[in-house]
Amino acid sequence: MRTQGGADPRLMQSEHNGRVVIGVIGDDIHVVGNRIMQLALEESGFQVFNLRTRNRPEQFCQAALETNAHAVFVSSLNGEGEYWCADFRKQFSDAGLGAVLLYVGGNIIVGKRPMDEVVALFKSYGFDRVYHQQPDIGVAIADLLEDLNHGQTKT
Amino acid sequence: MARPRLDARLPGIERTRQQVLSHPLARGISPDEVRDFLAKVPRNRFPRVAYGKRGTVPCIQPRGGFPTFEKQQRLTRQLSDAGADFIPLTVDSYTRHNQYDTATQLLRRSEEEGKDYLNGYPLVSHGHELSRELYTDIDKPISLRHGTPDARLLAEVAMASGIAEIEGGGICYCLPYSEGFPLDRCLLYWQYVDRVCAVNSTEEFPIHRESFGPLSATLVPPAIAVTIQIIEALLAAEQGVKSFAVSFGQTGSLIQDMATAKVLRELTGRYLAEFGFQDVRSYLVYHQWMGQFPHQIEKAAALIAGSGLVSSMISADKVVVKTVDEALGVPRAEINAEAVDTVRYMLRIFACAAPVTSPLIEQEAALIESESRSILGAIFDMSGDVFWESVFRAFQVGYLDVPFSPHADNANKLISMRDSNRSIRIAERGNVPISEQDARHEKQLLASSGSQADKNYRQLLGDINMMMV
Repeated sequence: MRTQGGADPRLMQSEHNGRVVIGVIGDDIHVVGNRIMQLALEESGFQVFNLRTRNRPEQFCQAALETNAHAVFVSSLNGEGEYWCADFRKQFSDAGLGAVLLYVGGNIIVGKRPMDEVVALFKSYGFDRVYHQQPDIGVAIADLLEDLNHGQTKT
Repeated sequence: MARPRLDARLPGIERTRQQVLSHPLARGISPDEVRDFLAKVPRNRFPRVAYGKRGTVPCIQPRGGFPTFEKQQRLTRQLSDAGADFIPLTVDSYTRHNQYDTATQLLRRSEEEGKDYLNGYPLVSHGHELSRELYTDIDKPISLRHGTPDARLLAEVAMASGIAEIEGGGICYCLPYSEGFPLDRCLLYWQYVDRVCAVNSTEEFPIHRESFGPLSATLVPPAIAVTIQIIEALLAAEQGVKSFAVSFGQTGSLIQDMATAKVLRELTGRYLAEFGFQDVRSYLVYHQWMGQFPHQIEKAAALIAGSGLVSSMISADKVVVKTVDEALGVPRAEINAEAVDTVRYMLRIFACAAPVTSPLIEQEAALIESESRSILGAIFDMSGDVFWESVFRAFQVGYLDVPFSPHADNANKLISMRDSNRSIRIAERGNVPISEQDARHEKQLLASSGSQADKNYRQLLGDINMMMV
């Protein structure tokens, strides 16, 4: 069903072999964004390993290890992200996965707080990129391509 | 072959009920006492009575649930005063997943700290004796809204509390609400709920069941919703339920809404009669837009008013209303009351005595009906000892396939998208047994309207979030 025809030209770099683990964290079963995320990443040429709904940090960690992933996209719609994400980076570092890019997005906290506060909080948890209530998935994908090309992570 | 049968009633229901009611949180519910109690509650608590009095205007029902008794009581009164015809009792998500201990703990914290730690009323934790008090001065039906795969205890407590409308079903409360709850167990547990509803009914004042047609509320083709609604009506009828509402969610296309209503109403009656359930009365419920809601208050209010009008044009028996808080979380009581008032106003100024129709609606209806008949026919012909087993198999082989269901047993092979009229089209039918001709017709409608059958993620996201523009 997918064509490349209407995709964002910024994302049309199919020469990379990027591998991304995606999934929804906590007991959240909101699956719509997760499905769309998979489509969007695949359209941009990524190999996607989708853990779907109801995941704990260790499941992301194990999947990243098994698939030798370049990046992990954690999403949360019901706001459980804050509770589960606090030692996310530490778990990855402990497993020797310190170089894996960690992105988080969705409705990642419960209630309303200033955007910069939310971003600072999740950066302090060790996330490389934070997208709170950012409706366009394309932004994260463009950032990922840039991080993979210019960041420390080797493709 | 396992078609719906008059003699398919669950055997030994008394014994199973004893087991369910032996739970400490059942607090000694006695089936006989509940029957006596229900015989004494005001007659207007029964949906059949309320529907009988509605005239040409759909009944209005908001949604709402708060953790503590006091807040729920206040909400109940506010909604009733605002003119709601049905009063909701929305249950929190821990109770929906049978985590009664967690629900009870968070209820205590909500009471102590004066903050809401639950997204609904933990009915099982409160129990039936206290919950009866919620409704002492309410002369309208109370509707249990939840999303519970195993609702046996919850439904018992609800009926013991004087609630005469139970929403849900083995498919509609499993596929959209659960990732891993076994579908066959869910179907069986809902046969229990249906049976107990029937046991607690009298001929004149039946406990009413309602199915949840919006499902995942994300690009669900009308034929899939219609099929599942009819299946749940038949499953309930098998257990002796005599009053049942089928429902569907606003599709996003006016034509499709009107066509879906027509087909759903007609086919439900016809299939009930075909299998010998002529004595079941069916009703049609319309849910205002169940997808992503606009954040701007003005747009949200316009959407609520607009779909209030649609509910009148399709002659729905009831409309379930949204609030302008929808995009933000659990609505405040006064905002909920406002939504009831807005829709009441729309229904008054745009009263519509008969369903609106047109050749375009008739064409759409013919397609939905043909597809629904094909799917139902294929399911009736499946193997199985009883009908619910065939329904379970239908999911295993992908005859039934709900787009964007989180459930692990859903096939996810059917792909749907909107055509340029914003109607939901089946782009790939997967294993869903609609005819070649109808499948081609769906694709033609996609192509001829200038919409492409190959959409990228941005276009698909636009189809899903069509009310966000």
